[in-house]
Amino acid sequence: MKFLPYLLKHLRKNWFRTALTVGAMTLCIFLFCTLQSVLAQINTLLDSRSAKRLVTRNSVSLTFPLPQAYQARIAAVPGVERVATSNWFGGFLPVKKEGKADEGSSSTTDWSNFFFNLAVDLEPFLAMYPEYEIPPDQYQALLQDQRGCVIGRKLAQKYGWKIGDTFYLESFIPTHRKADGPFEFVVRAIFDTDPVKYPGTDTTLMLFSRKYLYEATGRTLQAGVYYVEIKDPDDAGRISSAIDALFENSDAQTHTETEKAYAAGFVAMAGNLALLLNGIGLAVTFTILLVVANTMSIAVRERRTEIGVLKTLGFTSRQVMGLVVAESVLIAFIGGALGVFGSQGIMWVMTHAPGLKSLLGTIGLRELNLRPLVASLGLANALFLGFAAGFVPALNAYRARITDMLRTV
Amino acid sequence: MAMVDVRNVTKVYRRDAEEIVVLNGLSLQVEEGDFAALMGPSGSGKSTLLNLIAGIDKPTSGEVIVAGTDVAGLDETALAGFRSHNVGFIFQFYNLIPVLTATENVELPLLLTHLSKTERRERAATALKVVGLADRASHYPRQLSGGQEQRVAIARAIVTDPKVLVADEPTGDLDAKSAVEILDLMQTLNRDFKKTIVMVTHDPRASERAHTQHHLEKGVLRD
Repeated sequence: MKFLPYLLKHLRKNWFRTALTVGAMTLCIFLFCTLQSVLAQINTLLDSRSAKRLVTRNSVSLTFPLPQAYQARIAAVPGVERVATSNWFGGFLPVKKEGKADEGSSSTTDWSNFFFNLAVDLEPFLAMYPEYEIPPDQYQALLQDQRGCVIGRKLAQKYGWKIGDTFYLESFIPTHRKADGPFEFVVRAIFDTDPVKYPGTDTTLMLFSRKYLYEATGRTLQAGVYYVEIKDPDDAGRISSAIDALFENSDAQTHTETEKAYAAGFVAMAGNLALLLNGIGLAVTFTILLVVANTMSIAVRERRTEIGVLKTLGFTSRQVMGLVVAESVLIAFIGGALGVFGSQGIMWVMTHAPGLKSLLGTIGLRELNLRPLVASLGLANALFLGFAAGFVPALNAYRARITDMLRTV
Repeated sequence: MAMVDVRNVTKVYRRDAEEIVVLNGLSLQVEEGDFAALMGPSGSGKSTLLNLIAGIDKPTSGEVIVAGTDVAGLDETALAGFRSHNVGFIFQFYNLIPVLTATENVELPLLLTHLSKTERRERAATALKVVGLADRASHYPRQLSGGQEQRVAIARAIVTDPKVLVADEPTGDLDAKSAVEILDLMQTLNRDFKKTIVMVTHDPRASERAHTQHHLEKGVLRD
């Protein structure tokens, strides 16, 4: 510690260069922490999916619906426990309580009030999702009221909704609108979840009866996707193939996959996201290693005489080497710490800024936190980079002969 | 017993296949409390000899015994320890660390000791007082004149209370007035603080201050 003021004075001497190097390290660790946090959240999300649930969708695209008649045929496939139809409603708050629905496009939609709302076959759907824990009396009330909905605890907290409260939603999807105005909903149930048992479960979700949507939109609604619960997770491959084989020669062919694969498809629409993010992180890290190593080499070259003086005064080669490495590590630590704080900051912004929050919500990243492990890895990464960058210049300082270093005077 | 005892020392530098003999079987004794001047033309080997005495270089052959220690036989780490305890080095160009204040520069060798920060500061202040720069303690080298810088460098050299002070052209970069002040100071250190001083110089005025003068030529003592 007694050498710390000495190191800090050197860093302050060339403050602009130090600031740039620290900035480069900050950027590196910021990217590392942010990208790893996103990946970790995605993995948590995917891992929380039950292996017993399959999703059947139109093989062309998610945006193409499936005939309602498929439900019974899927349910008849051996090994299938139950089937629930689901449609993404696409509803927004707040909208007009009365009068005609807005004919405008989605560009007029207030994205700050976006939350996921699904129209589902409530009974089978909730039966296959033990994650959503609903008190029995609320569950019964939900089934008895067609306008009833169940919302997650966080959603209820966000809007201050209680059991019995009424609110209105209007969908940006044209086929999910009705002529006489927005849909009215009554909060009949609020679900909680066990975060230990079911990590990554979204409690900002709203579910309501698909029958309400079906009847209100003129009974023309087709199925968005089918959620299929199977008896044996090991049978997922066979059952998926069997379901898809059923509709092989139909107009609307299906694609059935595990819910995990389905969710992974959502977050990886642009390709292999993990590979992409890790690739970016690695490239940035390597670049910063070169930047810091170059900075330290220049610093040591500029201080040849000083190194000679230190050795003359009695500093051992190892101590001089230690000072050079310590300076590099100190720069890296400051940059790393700033990067970690910056990452925490940007994730707070991402999960609180209305537009961004909604955008991330569409791929399931409603929760985004800098995990202690990621922060620790980020700092460790910074320290390693600092050490690696300072090692070669330090080794040169270690090997340098006093007479050679003083000769440059 | 001599404070510095150089016995039949040879120093050979190799440049590619060429061998350059800088010191050729040289022997020299400097008694404890002596003020010795090493003189000679450029390339005569005086700075090399000084480096050997200071323990920052090793002879090719022969013995260099300083304060009872054979410097030539020490390894790198032991040699560093030897320098920090026994030798104070005064450079021609002062070689102060520009980012450190006068006090911090003087304190630098004490970082290698187990002294507390307060003790280090006290000793640095005492050393600066000895060289007459107590009022410049918080000044940076760029805020000092050449003579003042050299006095800070001398304070740094004496702060660990070494047995031997070695000075490589200590007045070589100074104006006449500052040079006189520095030589006065070195005389004081020798006379009042009993420091053994070995000084390389070209300057006859500087060498006049020394008790003994040794002239080198082509790696051997002429006198």
